[in-house]
Amino acid sequence: MRGKKTDLPEGVRARIADIREADILVGIPSFNSAKTIAHVVQAVEAGLSKYFPDRRSLLVNSDGGSSDGTAEAVRQAGVDFAAVLLDHRNRSGGFHKLVTPYDGIPGKGSAFRTIFEIARALEVKACAVVDSDLRSITPEWIELLIKPVLDEGYDYVAPYYMRHKYDGTITNTIVYPLTRALYGKRIRQPIGGDFGFSGRLASFYLGKDVWETDVARFGIDIWMTTTAVANGFGICQAFLGAKIHDAKDPGADLSAMLHQVVGTVFGLMEDYAEVWRTVRGSEPVPTLGFAYSVGLEAINVNLAKMLGKFQTGVRELAPLYRSFLPEDLLSFLGDLAGRPRRSFVYPDREWVRTLFHFALACRRRVMSREHIIRSLTPLYLGKVASFVIETRDSTAAEVEGRLEELCLSFEREKGHLIERWDGTDGDPVPPRRSP
Amino acid sequence: MTDFLDKVVVQPLRDVLQKLLAFLPDLLTGILVFAIGLAVAWLIKILAARIVRLLKLEAAFARSGLTEALQRMAVKDTPDKLIGRMFFWLVAVLFFVLALSAMRVPVIDQLLEKFLLYLPNVLVALIIMIFGYFLGNFLGRAALIAFVNAGVRPAGLASRGVRAFIMLFAFAMALEQLGIGRSTVIAAFTIVLGGAVLALALAFGLGGRDLARRLLEKRLKKDGDGEDDELKHL
Repeated sequence: MRGKKTDLPEGVRARIADIREADILVGIPSFNSAKTIAHVVQAVEAGLSKYFPDRRSLLVNSDGGSSDGTAEAVRQAGVDFAAVLLDHRNRSGGFHKLVTPYDGIPGKGSAFRTIFEIARALEVKACAVVDSDLRSITPEWIELLIKPVLDEGYDYVAPYYMRHKYDGTITNTIVYPLTRALYGKRIRQPIGGDFGFSGRLASFYLGKDVWETDVARFGIDIWMTTTAVANGFGICQAFLGAKIHDAKDPGADLSAMLHQVVGTVFGLMEDYAEVWRTVRGSEPVPTLGFAYSVGLEAINVNLAKMLGKFQTGVRELAPLYRSFLPEDLLSFLGDLAGRPRRSFVYPDREWVRTLFHFALACRRRVMSREHIIRSLTPLYLGKVASFVIETRDSTAAEVEGRLEELCLSFEREKGHLIERWDGTDGDPVPPRRSP
Repeated sequence: MTDFLDKVVVQPLRDVLQKLLAFLPDLLTGILVFAIGLAVAWLIKILAARIVRLLKLEAAFARSGLTEALQRMAVKDTPDKLIGRMFFWLVAVLFFVLALSAMRVPVIDQLLEKFLLYLPNVLVALIIMIFGYFLGNFLGRAALIAFVNAGVRPAGLASRGVRAFIMLFAFAMALEQLGIGRSTVIAAFTIVLGGAVLALALAFGLGGRDLARRLLEKRLKKDGDGEDDELKHL
């Protein structure tokens, strides 16, 4: 299906006509990020000047109507080349900066769409997108996201960060293990937010008619990753070091985020059922960059609040869950809700089965899709609470090991999902590990 | 005496008989129309039930909560049977009206006219009630999930309140459509709603002053002052 063409603002079209072509485009979606965006712009400009001085480069800030002076901060941000030991006179390729509001549903996906449109119009060879709330971005990120596309021929570069063990819990407990089990590629940060991709892939994304769905919001990251994987584009991941950032959108509530991200994952499961049904096990993807460990800011967790929401959810939503969760799982949840904190454990197998039955409920349209996914929120909080209790004293390496166990559970239970996907039940088919 | 009997008894009886004989063909036509109508209604009932089964609408009814609602109302029929039965009575009533009309009795004609003019109101009221039922269930469920996710403890009670309010609203609208106690319904509805809002305002104002203060303080405090965790889910 061809995507609808958007009209770029007149000023942007004039700038594009003026610039004519570019080799590299770096996009920064933003909304009220005046506090952090200048640092991101400086890192991008320094990265482009240092690693791609002879390439024609463009920085695009696609803004959602910020009222805090974000656009002005982007325009005024500049690199002190002497301080970063760079000689900007060597920059023969040229560097442009373009600030534009985006069109469509308010959200990160709509901002990306404008970036893709500009990339297509300028026929760029390689693109990167980075979040505007990053506090740990360095010029090297630009090299790591762009070079694999320009020099190694990859179409998609996913980020690989060091994050605090409790940072990115939707990624760790749902999106990474589920995407890995479905499509067989171990992309550690499928919704990392900072990606590199080829101009060819940007044009491919634009051809999809998804810009009025949750893809236009927080669903964009997982949609980009899954679309690249499922359509056979060359994929790698780049080690970027630590990811320290502000909350994505302080105004957005958890169930809305969960709905947008998980809803997109479930929707893609339907689109690419023929792809993932044949995949067994998983394989690593090439990881580029020099890996090192970093110290990360501590994250406070309010366990009592999470457990309280889990208990309320299981108690109040039981009649709703009954319409799509099996009896044994319901009985397990009821039992778990009554347990004290010290013995609270949401085992991986039960969590995987819970998620699979939510996916099946969405596929079978047992009720409004939004209601199904939003009702996952208390159970997700239960799993996160269980994970926090289990790993309270664990090191980063131990936590990674624990997540690997969760991923293997997803891969083992995948047969359960395949068996039921077309409405047939039966014993799960044991998965075969790929070499 | 004979004349008297002839005038008072025989002649009126003869007139009645003549009228009856004149009415008999219309009566027979009416009975025939109604009998045919019953047969047609029976056929349509079977056909409607089969179409429901063929289109696999039972699953859709189960998903929408209709089957469960019928069970709650102690209706033992399955939705396909119920739809068949509804069609049966619809067609039967239609043919009954036709049969009465075929009898050409002025009083019945007048009553029929009034009935037919009122019928659209019944239909609209029925549609309002059905729509209200589904909307109430949908919004009740949405409210339940939202309350649970917001950590509101009496989430079930609050969502039942939302559902009951919408159904009550639909019921009041349906009654108004039917013209039953129009002013009474509006007044009752206004009193109940106004009373509920006043009760909530008083309860919150008097009983929850501290809670309101804490909520406002929390809302107006700078970032980082709250007791929330710092989890970044994405």
